[in-house]
Amino acid sequence: MAEIHVIGQIVGATGFPEHSLFCKWGIHTGGAWKILAGLREGQTQVDNPQNHQAAYFSHPIDIHFATKGLQGWPKIHFQVWHQDSFGRNELYGYGFCHVPTSPGIHNIECPTWRPCGTFREQVSQSFLGGGPQLKNPDMIYSGADRYQLRTIAMGKIHLQLGIILRNFDKYGIEC
Amino acid sequence: MATSSVFLVNVAGQIETGEFQEFDDLYCKYCFVYGPDWLITSGLEESISQITKKSEDERQLFCWNFPLDVTFKSTNPYGWPQLVVHVYGLDVFGVDTIRGYGVTHVPITPGRHKRIIPVFVPESSSTLQKLTSWFLSNRPEFVDPRVVAQGEGREVTRVRSQGFVSVSFNVVMKDMKKLGYDVLPSDLSTVNVPENVGVQQGRVSEA
Repeated sequence: MAEIHVIGQIVGATGFPEHSLFCKWGIHTGGAWKILAGLREGQTQVDNPQNHQAAYFSHPIDIHFATKGLQGWPKIHFQVWHQDSFGRNELYGYGFCHVPTSPGIHNIECPTWRPCGTFREQVSQSFLGGGPQLKNPDMIYSGADRYQLRTIAMGKIHLQLGIILRNFDKYGIEC
Repeated sequence: MATSSVFLVNVAGQIETGEFQEFDDLYCKYCFVYGPDWLITSGLEESISQITKKSEDERQLFCWNFPLDVTFKSTNPYGWPQLVVHVYGLDVFGVDTIRGYGVTHVPITPGRHKRIIPVFVPESSSTLQKLTSWFLSNRPEFVDPRVVAQGEGREVTRVRSQGFVSVSFNVVMKDMKKLGYDVLPSDLSTVNVPENVGVQQGRVSEA
């Protein structure tokens, strides 16, 4: 069986309108993949930066996968939330990216988007917060049914992932 | 002959500098956090640096130049070591307080790497607590600094990031390829050297 180690960090997030952000993340894989060790989802700390613009999570990711096939290569998906001083949480964006397929260290910037409501909902969102969220979070990383959504771009999530592959060349895979 | 399933990772580096806008007189401590399959065969697992002042020029840097020299042995890349840096300083009353925790993985590819690590402190949960913690020099800190290297339980922490620490690593590995692990893409990892480079007839070649 071929194995992959994903060893890295969710470094932080930039480009969002407010500070005090946290990020929920998860990894979705196809049926041929199995997790041998590590957490497949989690939630980062809430960071409120003092002097600079970016929110830093420094959240470690260490997962060991085994696979029998290439289909369903792991995808890491994110939800960025804003927590205000009263402890209320507001959705700031969804995003996903594939785990890189070549071994080595990769710095990845993952763009995010937020569903956009009608004009009335946008006005009420700017006064009261809140706003539409996806009912089914699978849509973050799947392409089916996306045509029904209207969204607006939000900031970026920065990742630094190191990928170690094992036995892929034994099966003739070049990556 | 028994085939070994162990690989070694040697890390030689330093905690170079720090950047903190509001503080002075800082020292840093580091420790390595790693999974159950890993072992340190040589080097210091944790240590404390000197106390340094901010530079007087416009860079406003703290320079520790603090060496890291450690060798790990493992059978499994899961639990790859992480460097946890915690920076402490003296506050107005002369008491040691935490100025930031930061964490980064030891790089997984051999070679020289430079990392700029953001550091953060836990935040008090209310303004009254912030005031009393300032008076009593009792700011919130983590009971065990190793918690910043874990993925679980982080969702309940609220932190404030307030500086950066710059670390450089030189990583050397042994036997990763023998055990089948690829840490570099295949076009970079095999180097073909022409057979007669540097060989001269009847003389020792000079480099």
